[in-house]
Amino acid sequence: MTLIVRSESPRTDRSTVWLEGRLDAATYAAFDEALRDITPLVDNGGTLVIDLSALDYISSAGLRSLAQLRKQLHDRDGRTLLLNPQPQVKKVFDIVKAVPVAEVFASVGELDQYLDHMQRQITALGS
Amino acid sequence: MRLRIPNRLEDVFLALDRAEGTLDRAEVDASCRADVRLVLEELLVNTVRHGYPDGRDGSIDIRLEVEADVVHLELRDDAMPFDPLQHEPPDLPGDIARREIGGLGLHLARSIASAFHYARDAHGNRVVIRFDPSDEPTT
Repeated sequence: MTLIVRSESPRTDRSTVWLEGRLDAATYAAFDEALRDITPLVDNGGTLVIDLSALDYISSAGLRSLAQLRKQLHDRDGRTLLLNPQPQVKKVFDIVKAVPVAEVFASVGELDQYLDHMQRQITALGS
Repeated sequence: MRLRIPNRLEDVFLALDRAEGTLDRAEVDASCRADVRLVLEELLVNTVRHGYPDGRDGSIDIRLEVEADVVHLELRDDAMPFDPLQHEPPDLPGDIARREIGGLGLHLARSIASAFHYARDAHGNRVVIRFDPSDEPTT
């Protein structure tokens, strides 16, 4: 099994990347390379959703890639949100306290609700 | 399973697949299989990347046994002395984007193993690890 990264045609404010298989010391370089093409398409202040439903396994090499990705998005005032981590991935995230709990979502519905809420806050601030 | 591999990354991943096959045949559950794979990957990748700074050829012996639901793993290598237990636990501020990169692999390996011993003798480093499936949360 290898890592498969695919993305929906990115909108400028929100893109989704799906990961499948294993994100480890054998596959992280392919992941980094795939995202080099995707992240510039996300607007400053935009959102990159990483769908983890089909990711079976992550190791520290994969965590390093995710960390770099989060940093890149942070630096452009954007955010990475994680969707539906499976048991092994969830366990690893928990052990290293990988991401704030508020930025991990069990379903697309939860994630949409969160983004709508953020959007309303921004709109309210601007009015 | 007993396996001797050269200190190369591609051989590490062949060994990981072999180990998973062994555990699968012994009907070890998926969660414990993933734990063993993770600990093996972290320790072997670390040894291959940092254990032979002079670039020499080395070898790593892997022994994996399943006994009444308990998985026993033993690793021996001829790399430079390195005790994974002497490594400081990393700083974990709650967001991997806000910390220095590095140190997570050994922390994961130590956290996931049920028991972890290190010794060094004339042959080199020796790590003995035990995995108890009963340690797994029921969720």
